[in-house]
Amino acid sequence: MNERMSRREALRRAGLWAGAAGVWASLPKRTWAALPAPEGWSPGEERLLTIIGDTLLPATAGSPGAGAVEIGRFIAMMASTCSPPETVSLIQSGLREIEALSRAEFARGFIDLAAAQRETLLINYEKKGASLAPAKGPHPLRPIKQWAVLGYFTSEPGATQALRYDPIPGGYRGTVPLAPGDRTWAT
Amino acid sequence: MANYPTTSGSRENTFDAIVIGSGISGGWAAKELCEHGLKTLVLERGRDVQHLKDYPTALKNPWDLPHRGKLPHTIARENPIVKRCYAFDETTAHFFVKDGEHPYVQEKPFDWIRGYQVGGKSLIWARQTQRWSRFDFEGPARDGFGEWPISYEDLAPWYTHVERFVGISGNRDGVETLPDGEFLPAWEMNDVEKHLSGKIRGAYADRFVVQGRCAHLTAPQAIHLEQGRGQCQARNLCYRGCPFGGYFSSNSGTLPWAARTGNLTMRPHAVVAAILHDPGSGRASGVRVIDAQTQETKEFFARVIFVNAACLNTNLILLNSQSARFPTGLGNDHDLLGRYVAFHNYRGSLAGQMEGFADSYYSGRRPTQAMMPNFRNVRKQEMDFQRGYMVFFGASRASWTQGNHLPGAGAAFKERLTRPGPWGVTMMMQGETVPRRENHVRLAADRRDAWGIPQLVTSIGYHENDEKMIQDFLEQGEAMLSAAGVKKITKTDDRRAPGLDIHEMGGVRMGADPKKSLLNRWNQLHTCPNVFVTDGACMASTGTQNPSLTFMALAARAANYAVAEMKKGTL
Repeated sequence: MNERMSRREALRRAGLWAGAAGVWASLPKRTWAALPAPEGWSPGEERLLTIIGDTLLPATAGSPGAGAVEIGRFIAMMASTCSPPETVSLIQSGLREIEALSRAEFARGFIDLAAAQRETLLINYEKKGASLAPAKGPHPLRPIKQWAVLGYFTSEPGATQALRYDPIPGGYRGTVPLAPGDRTWAT
Repeated sequence: MANYPTTSGSRENTFDAIVIGSGISGGWAAKELCEHGLKTLVLERGRDVQHLKDYPTALKNPWDLPHRGKLPHTIARENPIVKRCYAFDETTAHFFVKDGEHPYVQEKPFDWIRGYQVGGKSLIWARQTQRWSRFDFEGPARDGFGEWPISYEDLAPWYTHVERFVGISGNRDGVETLPDGEFLPAWEMNDVEKHLSGKIRGAYADRFVVQGRCAHLTAPQAIHLEQGRGQCQARNLCYRGCPFGGYFSSNSGTLPWAARTGNLTMRPHAVVAAILHDPGSGRASGVRVIDAQTQETKEFFARVIFVNAACLNTNLILLNSQSARFPTGLGNDHDLLGRYVAFHNYRGSLAGQMEGFADSYYSGRRPTQAMMPNFRNVRKQEMDFQRGYMVFFGASRASWTQGNHLPGAGAAFKERLTRPGPWGVTMMMQGETVPRRENHVRLAADRRDAWGIPQLVTSIGYHENDEKMIQDFLEQGEAMLSAAGVKKITKTDDRRAPGLDIHEMGGVRMGADPKKSLLNRWNQLHTCPNVFVTDGACMASTGTQNPSLTFMALAARAANYAVAEMKKGTL
């Protein structure tokens, strides 16, 4: 079993049986190593974003989850650099809300929930709408999802394992039968 | 204000020809002049950009880009104009002029998108290359708003000349409104595009959905390989510069070709302030240049001068070329210089979903899309607006970006994003606008740029005619998509400002009558015949086609004429 497989296996186990704290502990420390920790975000917020990202886009057969690409740092960085300025406080209010919901319902923090509980909580939170966030404007989960989706599917494992990436197609074919299981093009 | 040469023309500052601008039309002027043995100086206001060497992002993977291609908010905030350009992002920003670098005065909103570097905007053009038809050349006279001094037949051999060197992919469609050219194999349509094309052709006798024609090497010929260019690899990352030379640019094509004649002198960082007029000979003697880095002023001299600074900067240079003979700008005896500027109307678009075709997909990233030549007012005036519009079509399957708006979380959500989604169909217009006297540019009386040159005032807007055309396009677009079975159709008028089309034309228009135009049928200033204008500024109308192919053909034709006249001793 190569390194990537063992990491994926570790993630799967962590997600299913050990709670998300195990996911965090098993993260590789290199994916966003080139990025400085964005200002205005606490390590706890970054960590929570990673767990949320990994809940949105978990490890599945054949590809790791968003946690494996340290998605929390990417979401925080993109919110700070490529979003309207109010996005940072919107996301941070969402994080507080998610944490509060988790404690109210399960008497535990979000990262200590089992994967299925985290998933259900986020799905309900998305449906229900946000109570702490300003009445007008987007749901706090929206920019989190937007940057998680971008960060994951443009990462090397996301593009090459969850999707199909062909940097140099060589030509264009207008009719290609789509077989069951064929994945979408990354670019 | 004296505009005579202030330094005597030293030998090293004297050339046979000067070309102002190294973009798509200047590159062609330089190539033709150099090939015919003229010592040619090309003046480029921006930095040098060498083919292959200076494309820093060309081979980056998505994960190599710090912001995955997105534009940091600080850059967007500092650049409210250029950030609106669809091609301006983290991977291409180095090829666009930032708003602060060269300010101008918007009397009416106008998004002026510019590329100051060797190669100009030929690095970042959309590469769609359709010939004009006779209907486009004849239209202004028929509709009473202008005249072209040349016909389709005058330009056809030069279209051929340019197409062979550039390499244009396309089908020979045999449509009178869209003349066929010298084509490399066309790109394919995908299954939904084929369906749309068939349904629309079936429903409308005069509406032809054909594959777009574009400046991409689908099957490189000897002339392209000789340029060092190769097969287009269908990456569709063109705006970064192509490491294969798969699309045509001045950098990959005309400029290196001109350089190898030994007759080309390329001078980057050379901002042309004015063309010098010699009252003795009644001709232009040269140009005054400000070095963008040192602010030093220099003069260069030549027998002929080609002005290819891109439409609005060509207007600016001529307006600023003031002399005793031409106190309001070179060639401007009638207050026409800077007037009759027009553009392409891009405001209307539609989107919808096509059900079915679930087991059909495609591979590769095609650098063009399907299109439909104009079908309005072609043979006679029949609508409540003048002229017409071209339509672009595209169909593709939703990708992982659906995740931005789909609800859900977890493995099912992720799984859904990793599979091709439903087919979406898009449609957009490229409408002709009628050149109008009030749509103009002029010099600002009180504002100057970093080089001490007056800033340009843009006073260019829409007209009721354009509003009617948008409404017609949106109605017809909906009818055509409905006829093809497209559902959930949405219609949009994005009300964008002129300029964002990056197809501005006119201000120095051609015409047979010197009282009504600035340039003759060979693109020479009527009143200063050794000055040629062969970029978008020369256009007497806009047609509905992407204009660069026509600019290139006009530049090549004029350059060959200039060479012939110089050899005869008449120029």
